Amino acid sequence: MLERNVIQSSGFSNRGPAGGRTGFRVRLRQPNYRGMRLSLVEGVDVTVDGVNFPATTNSVVLRGREYTRDALDALEETRWHVGEAIDVLIDHPGGLEPGVHRVETIVWMRHPYFPPQFRPVPMRDSQHVTIIV
Amino acid sequence: MNDSFKYGVSLYSYTDDFSTVMDLEDAFYHVSETGASGIEILGETHVAGFPDPSTQWLDRWFRLIETSGLEPTNFASWIDTSVGAKRTMSVEEGAAQLDRDLRMAHRLGFRFMRPKFGVIDDELTPHPIWEGSVERVLDLAAKLDIIICPEIHAPTPIRHPVVDAYVAFIQRTGTKHFGLLLDTGIFQDRPLPYWPGETPEMRKSAMSFLNGIKVPVEQIAEVIDYVVFIQSKFHHIDETLHDHHIPWDRIVPALKSLGYSGYLSSEYEGVRDPWVSIEQVRRQHALIRRLERDFDAANAGPSTPEQTHA
Repeated sequence: MLERNVIQSSGFSNRGPAGGRTGFRVRLRQPNYRGMRLSLVEGVDVTVDGVNFPATTNSVVLRGREYTRDALDALEETRWHVGEAIDVLIDHPGGLEPGVHRVETIVWMRHPYFPPQFRPVPMRDSQHVTIIV
Repeated sequence: MNDSFKYGVSLYSYTDDFSTVMDLEDAFYHVSETGASGIEILGETHVAGFPDPSTQWLDRWFRLIETSGLEPTNFASWIDTSVGAKRTMSVEEGAAQLDRDLRMAHRLGFRFMRPKFGVIDDELTPHPIWEGSVERVLDLAAKLDIIICPEIHAPTPIRHPVVDAYVAFIQRTGTKHFGLLLDTGIFQDRPLPYWPGETPEMRKSAMSFLNGIKVPVEQIAEVIDYVVFIQSKFHHIDETLHDHHIPWDRIVPALKSLGYSGYLSSEYEGVRDPWVSIEQVRRQHALIRRLERDFDAANAGPSTPEQTHA
């Protein structure tokens, strides 16, 4: 089973080879109480140690497939289930320094049963999580 | 006169525990241990691989139903009318979603299905496709013997055009397979604590309903003929079995007086620390069962039931 927090400690890691890091990934469990069509997910904002990486520039990986933020809207029949994690991929040449980082995330969700003025709503989490290498 | 309530638990109660500290077997165990007879699930949450569960998952489901003796009650379904950022479902698409979920609910043994339609305003008016979509599946619901029951849920009170429209639909079609699901959050009469991320400004405006919309329990009588299922929404019950928000001491006698003998299916919606929900649900069952016993004792005449009409 996944960690209780939305932001998972396991999975937080740099991408690319040592000496040639291209960015990093943040692993999130489904923050909502029901599974969501990806078309209802309007991207994920990530902030690390105060530096913001906006949803428009981040992609997500669900069950091994990578989707850009703009591609999500068409994915009406692809579901992010409860108890399932996605990886948010952030481009950041050089990656993150090994050590503990303050990570904040906002998953923007469009709940059709919320009043239009609350679509999308930000589903937030923040944790101290660790890059090992 | 005084048929008993049926007691159930919605696995919604265990939100955040489910999939982090609780699997489906654990959930069945905790529901069974309350002494409830019914279990309610959310299709898109508790059916692994929704909408195409594997054979292994189906086997697991039927084994749990068989060994627990629990009866599947209500199957929660979503009709995501605003399915894309700029795309709305058609009546036919809404009907197709209902058709799919009715068949799944039936396959899993459920007798009720709550569709949650997207809404178009702050009053939670369902998207207008609801009526045509539901009408297209009424024959299927009859064939599968499932009652489709949208919820009356805060901030929508009982006396409201949304409810009037549902009742008018029942009267126009004459269907026995569409009814009302009452969510007891409409009776909340004291403020909820702020949710994570909620601000005082939000509470003063759009979220003011979280202070409680205080529907008088007497108004249940106006719709009781159409109420087929009740979700016992609650938020916190303390160690003296005092509910801090929902007036059970008025709701239970009102329902008993009206002869309601359907399900009360717990929906805990409070602090989401691990395992808190398990104890909260147990407290609610203890509280409502006690109030039901008190009502029965106070209304049990020494002789025949006819005396209650005197």
